Amino acid sequence: MEDLSFEESLEKLEEIVNKLESGNIPLDDAIDEFNNAMQLVKVCNNKLNNAEEAIAKIVEDNGELIDFNINE
Amino acid sequence: MENKNFSVSQINSYLKKKFNMDPKLKNIQVKGELSNYKSYANGHDYFTLKDENSEISGVLYKGRKRNLEFKPEDGMKVIIKGSVEVYEKKGQYQLKANSMKKDGIGDLYISFEKLKEKLKSEGLFDESHKKDIPKYPKRIGVITAKTGSAIKDIITTINRRYPQCEIYVFSTLVQGDFAAPQIVSQLKKSQRYDLDTIIIGRGGGSIEDLWPFNEEIVAREIFDCKIPIISAVGHETDFTISDFAADLRAPTPTAAAELAVPQTDELNNRICEINKRLTKIMDNKLSSNKERLDNICKKQIIKNPESIYNIKQMHLDQLINNLDHYSKDMITKNKSKLRLLENSAILKNPENIYENKKTHLNNLIKNLDYSSKNIITKNKNKLQLIEGSTTLKNPKNIYENKKTHLNNLIKNLNYSSKNIITENKNKLEIIKSSKILKNPNEIKNKKEDRLIINIDKLEILNPLLTLKRGYSIAKSKDKVIKSVKDVESGDEVNIKVDDGTINTKVI
Repeated sequence: MEDLSFEESLEKLEEIVNKLESGNIPLDDAIDEFNNAMQLVKVCNNKLNNAEEAIAKIVEDNGELIDFNINE
Repeated sequence: MENKNFSVSQINSYLKKKFNMDPKLKNIQVKGELSNYKSYANGHDYFTLKDENSEISGVLYKGRKRNLEFKPEDGMKVIIKGSVEVYEKKGQYQLKANSMKKDGIGDLYISFEKLKEKLKSEGLFDESHKKDIPKYPKRIGVITAKTGSAIKDIITTINRRYPQCEIYVFSTLVQGDFAAPQIVSQLKKSQRYDLDTIIIGRGGGSIEDLWPFNEEIVAREIFDCKIPIISAVGHETDFTISDFAADLRAPTPTAAAELAVPQTDELNNRICEINKRLTKIMDNKLSSNKERLDNICKKQIIKNPESIYNIKQMHLDQLINNLDHYSKDMITKNKSKLRLLENSAILKNPENIYENKKTHLNNLIKNLDYSSKNIITKNKNKLQLIEGSTTLKNPKNIYENKKTHLNNLIKNLNYSSKNIITENKNKLEIIKSSKILKNPNEIKNKKEDRLIINIDKLEILNPLLTLKRGYSIAKSKDKVIKSVKDVESGDEVNIKVDDGTINTKVI
C-alpha cells in the first residue's frame, strides 16, 4: 500500500467509500475494506504532511543536481 | 497697415490661438527617438523627440502615464499621439503626448499574428493535443532564468501549497536573441528527468522581452514535449505563442505553480471528510447488523431450541410413514407379477418344452436319413458311370494306345538317326573334297619352298660356296692352315676344292 502514489491512494480510498456506501457488501468484507481504507488514510496523511519544504534543485549544464536556494 | 506695437504676451497668445485652431495640430501622430527623458517630482515627464535633422520638446503629463505599456528611456523609438501647443510663458511650442507607443511594435505584432495563424492551421494549438496536468505531481521542472522573479514566485507558491513536490530548475536566458535556442535545449534536456509537469516562462516585461516565447522553435518544442507543460509568460494580459502551444496557460508564474500542485490543506480536508464518511458508514453498518442479530435472537426458534427437535421429529415420522407406504405398495406389485408368472402357459404345461425338443430331434433324424440316402445314391450313380466306361469294357484299348505310341517313338527314332547319318556323311564328303585332303603335297611343297629359301640363306654363309668360286681350304693334320708356320716340310696337306680334295706334300 505504501507503493501507491498519492493519487492512486486517494482514488482507492474514494472507491472503497463508494463501495461501502452502496451497502450491498457483506459485513466481513466491509470490515476488511474499512481496515484497508484506514490504512490508506494513514498513508495519505503521511504523504501529505511529512514534507516541510519543497526540495528545489538546479540542473547544471553538466547534468549535476545542486540545491537551489531562492534567497541567494 | 498701421504700425502698432504688440506685446510679447500678445504675440504668444495670438500664436497659441492660431495653433489651437488648426485641427491637424490638435490631433497629430509623431514618430521619433526619445532623448533627455526626465521625470519630475510633480509626476510629469519631459523629453525631446528627434530625428536626424530636427527636434521638438515634449511633455507627458502625470494623468496620461497610466496608459503607458513600457518605461520610456533615452534612445527609444516611439510614436506619440497628441497635440502641438504653445507654451506662452516661454514662447515655445511643444508636443503634448496623450499616448506613447514603441515604434516597431506593429511589425512584431504582424509577425506574431502570422506565426499564430500558421501554427494554428497546422493544429499545434488543437485541444485534442492538450495533455492533462497531473493532480499530484512528485517532481516539477521549471524552465526559466534562475535569477528571475518567476522562479522565486514558483518555488514560494509550491512550498506553501504542496511542499512534498520536488522542483528541478533548468535555467535559461529568457530574453534576447540567444534565449529561444537555450529554452529549446533546456526543454529537450528536461525530458530525461522523470518530471510529472513542466512550467515554462518568465516574469513580466516589454513585448520585446517576452519575444523568445513567440519564437517558432520554442512553440514547436513545447508542442513536441511529452511531459504536460504549463506556460506562464509575463502578466495576465500578455499572450504568447508558447501559451497557445502549451497544454495549459497560466496568467503568471505564481498562477502556474497554483495550477501545477494541489493545496495540501484542501487535501487534508478531503481525507478528513473521507475518514468521517467511512466511520459513519461502518457505524451504520454495525448498528444495522446488531439490530438484525437482536431480531434473530428474539425469534421463537432461538428462545425455544427444542422446537428444532420437534420439527425434525415430525419430518422423521413423515419419512417413516412414506417408507411404510412405499414398501407395501412394492410388495403388492411384486405379488401380482408372481401371479402372472404362475398363470403363464409354460409353467402350467411344462411337457410343452419336451414336446418341442422331441419334434426338433425327429426332424434332425429325418434330415440325416435323407442326406445319407442321397450320398449312397450319388455314389452308386458314379460307380455305374465308371463301370459303363469304354476303358473298363475294353481294357486292350489301353495296351493298343501304348503300342501305337511306342511305334511312333521308334519311327521318330529311326528317322532321327538316319538324318544324323546323312548329315555326317555329307560333312565327310565336304571334308574329303577339301583341297587339303585332295592335294596334301601342297602343304609339303609350301614347306619345301620355305626350306629352300632358308637353305639359300644358309648357303651364303656356307664356306663350301666360297670354294665354288675358286677358293680352297688347306688343311694339315685336320687343321686349317692359316699361316706358313702351321706346316713344315714334308707335312701332308689336303687342299679342299669344290669338287674334291687334292692331297699334296710340302716340299
